[in-house]
Amino acid sequence: MEHEEIYVMMMEALDGELADEQQPLLADHLRVCPPCMREWQALLTIDQLFRQTPLLSPAADFTQRTLARLPNTRYRVGLIGAIYMLLLFSGTLPILIGIWAISQYGSVVTQPGVVSSLIQSAAQIVQVIGAVLNALLNGLGEFVVQQPAVLGWLLVMIGIVSVWSGVYRQLIGWPSMSLTRVRSLNS
Amino acid sequence: MNEEQVWLEQARKGDKTAFGHLIEAYQTPVYNLAYRMLNNSGEAEEAAQEAFIRAYTRLDTYNPAHKFSTWILSITSNYCIDVIRKRRALLLSIDEPLPPHPALKTQSSKGPEAQVLIQEQQDMVQALLQELPEDYRQTVVLRYWHDLSYEEIAEMMDTSVSAIKSRLFRARRQLAEVGMQYGLDPAMETAVAI
Repeated sequence: MEHEEIYVMMMEALDGELADEQQPLLADHLRVCPPCMREWQALLTIDQLFRQTPLLSPAADFTQRTLARLPNTRYRVGLIGAIYMLLLFSGTLPILIGIWAISQYGSVVTQPGVVSSLIQSAAQIVQVIGAVLNALLNGLGEFVVQQPAVLGWLLVMIGIVSVWSGVYRQLIGWPSMSLTRVRSLNS
Repeated sequence: MNEEQVWLEQARKGDKTAFGHLIEAYQTPVYNLAYRMLNNSGEAEEAAQEAFIRAYTRLDTYNPAHKFSTWILSITSNYCIDVIRKRRALLLSIDEPLPPHPALKTQSSKGPEAQVLIQEQQDMVQALLQELPEDYRQTVVLRYWHDLSYEEIAEMMDTSVSAIKSRLFRARRQLAEVGMQYGLDPAMETAVAI
């Protein structure tokens, strides 16, 4: 029997999961294989050492000191509620103004002449925005053609920043990573 | 609804006294996990407090389908991993002698011989644990002291059951090898039985 198979059986035996029919196989092998017997005794010793080592407790006033550090969530919940109400109000206010304006000036706005002039104005605004974007893109294209070194330098800088931020993240470890793991436990 | 669920429900509404009952109930496993991972009583206490504060502020994300103990241990172990990474990033030496755990100095109810044996046992366990990479250490601590199943550990560490079995397999063999180097021979088996 391969030693690796024996190691697997040892682990199962330590976890109390070794099948009854496999127990004699392990015992027979250990009797005739001194290296495996030494490994088994070492594993058993470690296992017993860890099982017999008690849990450690914090200092007696741990609870009081931890409670003193807890934030006031009632205040927090109230504050978040107030912010949500403010956002809701700021979102509904323009709608209310719109409804009021329509009720006041609806008859004027719906006249055919006013509607067509509004459409024309909107079309002109779109044309202006299009012209500005077009000019910007053209300028950018010309800059890339005339100054390729500047563009290359910018790309290199972005690459260096990305690499170093990756290294920094690996070294420090983002708290958000652990939060993701906690969230995955909850999902 | 059991007592713990009542405390959780009240704590979710901002009742600190109810959360205090949860701290009382889980402070030992949380602190023990932090101490085994960090090997420093001051950092372990800070980590345990931080874990409880995080749990308190995120109680609305807690899923009652899981055990609260698993959830709080998950927060603690993730926090400890972050601390270890930051410690490594700051290039702090973990080889310098660390203060012994206060509980080891206050075992006054036991005789001096028993205290020495307990101290030796705790020192040996901590020394062995520090030889392991943090993910192996995390697996060993959760398995031995917190009696979590492979499935629970895998869920906490966001990996598969087979990966956890493999980690524990390698960790045990590494511990056995290092233990023998430290002079922990099978003859000590009876000596550690306190």
